[in-house]
Amino acid sequence: MRRLFMEPIGIFILAMICQVYSCAANVSDSVERMQYASVAGEEYLQGDKLDTNLDDKVFFEFDKSSLDAEDKNLLEQYLPLIKKAKIVRLEGHCDERGTREYNLALGERRALEVRDFLIVKGVSGKKIRVVSFGEEKPLKSASNENAWAENRRVEISLY
Amino acid sequence: MIRSLSLLFFLVSNSIFSILEIEILKGSDNLSKVAFVPFGIESGIEGNYGSQISKNIEKNMLLFGEFENLAVNEMLSYPSSENDFYYRDWKVLGVDYSVIGKINSVNALGNLNISYSLFNINRRIKILEGEIVGREDNIEGISKIISNRIYEEITGLRGIFDTKLAYVINSDADTYQMCISDIDGKNEQILFTSKAPIMSPDWSPDRKKIAYVSFENGLAEIFIQDLQSGERDSIQALGMTNSAPVWSPDGRSLALVVSFSGNPDIFLYSINNKRLIRLTNHYGIDTEPSWSPDSKKIIFTSDRSGSPQLYEINTKSKRKKRLTKDGNYNARGRYFPDGKSIFFVHGNDGNFQIATKKLSSRYIETLTSTSLDESPTISPNGNIIIYATKDGSNGYLGGITLDGKSRFSLPVKNGSVREPAWSPLLN
Amino acid sequence: MNKALTSLNTFFLILLFLSLIFSMFSVPNLDIDETQSIKVNFYELIQQDDILFDSPAPTTPMKKETKKTSAINEKTNIDETAIISRFNINKLDVKNEITKIKLSKEREGVLRVSAIIQERISSIWIKPNSLSESLIAKVLINLAPSGEILNFNLIEPSSNTSFNESILTAMNKMTFFEEVLSLERNLFEKNFRNFNLVFKSSGEIE
Repeated sequence: MRRLFMEPIGIFILAMICQVYSCAANVSDSVERMQYASVAGEEYLQGDKLDTNLDDKVFFEFDKSSLDAEDKNLLEQYLPLIKKAKIVRLEGHCDERGTREYNLALGERRALEVRDFLIVKGVSGKKIRVVSFGEEKPLKSASNENAWAENRRVEISLY
Repeated sequence: MIRSLSLLFFLVSNSIFSILEIEILKGSDNLSKVAFVPFGIESGIEGNYGSQISKNIEKNMLLFGEFENLAVNEMLSYPSSENDFYYRDWKVLGVDYSVIGKINSVNALGNLNISYSLFNINRRIKILEGEIVGREDNIEGISKIISNRIYEEITGLRGIFDTKLAYVINSDADTYQMCISDIDGKNEQILFTSKAPIMSPDWSPDRKKIAYVSFENGLAEIFIQDLQSGERDSIQALGMTNSAPVWSPDGRSLALVVSFSGNPDIFLYSINNKRLIRLTNHYGIDTEPSWSPDSKKIIFTSDRSGSPQLYEINTKSKRKKRLTKDGNYNARGRYFPDGKSIFFVHGNDGNFQIATKKLSSRYIETLTSTSLDESPTISPNGNIIIYATKDGSNGYLGGITLDGKSRFSLPVKNGSVREPAWSPLLN
Repeated sequence: MNKALTSLNTFFLILLFLSLIFSMFSVPNLDIDETQSIKVNFYELIQQDDILFDSPAPTTPMKKETKKTSAINEKTNIDETAIISRFNINKLDVKNEITKIKLSKEREGVLRVSAIIQERISSIWIKPNSLSESLIAKVLINLAPSGEILNFNLIEPSSNTSFNESILTAMNKMTFFEEVLSLERNLFEKNFRNFNLVFKSSGEIE
């Protein structure tokens, strides 16, 4: 008899706990939202792009987002300019192989890898803007190894 | 008890009177041959509706290469009713099915009354008889309905001739168009034109809206566009990247990918109260979600193992299961309409091809033979896959029936076509 | 009452046992996939081994790789080790199978005609598309000694109508299995007077 009563009560309590928990999860999501909403602002697009006489691209292996020594070397040369710039825009790209949505994520991964390197080298993370175009904006439209190698890139532009 | 008795009986009968059994597993590579006899017309009615309708039906039925036809000039007779129909006329020509019909009347409002029949020549029986009333300015629509009925009778699958296709056209470097058309390529409509890339179109289950990703504001953002009014709504960009929206089977929520601080994860987004619920939480890439037909599970791509592989997650318990193990690139999975198999992009020796896999088995079967195949979409009856591929630098859409008997490509468009999305059936 | 039931059960068990033993010795049992470990693929048999059917014993010794099918073909010089290494199956099993096959001379004739019938039906059966469920249907066929199909019956239909329809359509296209004329009369009576065709939608039926 007692068990008959206790069971629904137990379930009710459990349900309440779940409710509270899911509310909490919802709150944390809205916090994240406030934090990153400003990234969408496109103020840097209005500013003038700074011309540099340095190579402004780093390249990657297929399905990889790690920087090799050559890339790091190039970014090191860039550092003084980057530190002077108001906004650093990093645009990640992929080659056409593989699926589009996955490549969109992979392009972002590549741009973030460059961002993290810059932050380690003392660039303020606040002025870095990251965007990925996946495989949507290739430099070369051909379907061969050379074109693919050129398309797997992160483009750096300074404002 | 009775059950065990009957089982026993079965065993005994099987062995004592053991009878030769020959197993037939393989079917013919041939297609069924169908004769589309020009529809007759009641004397006194003007116009050539008759041959128009049968030609339309023929075109529909041949659209995906699932049948073979008999040329009109090879026919021995042109019956329009059962009384004039002789099986031997068709048997000698190797015909498997014949379609006949007749325009019975036209009323003052322009409504046509049409009757039609379908015969199985080998079995010498009429397997379908129907009557339809429709307006004379909607011959195409009438033909589609008749085609669906015939297709359903012959194949046992739902007819798909009134479905639509959504796709993205990239006509030059800076022009992207979100388009829809009838499944036969007719009645193309441009929903939205942009200078920035457009991606990932997906139909709402009621076929009234399309969700897609647009870069018009500089980064990936999800829009929902109403097809009737043309109105577009951004679902309010959250995080850095929003992508890969897919409608739940009930149409009330989207599964999508949100990347907060650069880590893409799968979320559920409820359309009414705009709430986000996190489904996955992993530092790897989680993307390309898609719902199981019973909406209990979501399949997605993740590189958590080091290479992109397919996983499924239960939306309630959030329990995850890895679905693919062979090969180092298995991505953008979708369930078959029956939920028992999946199809996806499979990387194999540098080639990317469309493949299928039964959930119950480990074996991956590759369907296509070109090397840059992606974005597969399946017909609502589960019988045909259309996918995007490339010829030189030009993208076009290819298709294949799942028995592998027919391969076709869709008419070439002015520009690179990609990301086909097959609409659901109209219910 | 209980006692009666138990004894009835025992009786049936014994019956089952006997029937099993009986089935072992019954000659024309062709369910090779189930009872034996070498799966004979009729389709391959036909395509590669015309020698088996048309010409008398090959004059030049065949030096090609031993396949599962040629195990039956080259009765005289079966390369057992090759089969064993290839399929990695129990040696005893293979020996048993091979002796069984060697023993039954009649079997070859039955196999040959079965293979042709299988191939002929396969060439006209238009299998419905994309059946993800595993379907199975059984057709009982009565033949006249001339090979004429006297009657066929879908004795065990599948759950899917279009699958059943496709089988009936295919069977309607067939009128003769004249191949049985090449068999001795008693072999015909034993095997092909009445026989079953088992149509399967996929190879993975448990």
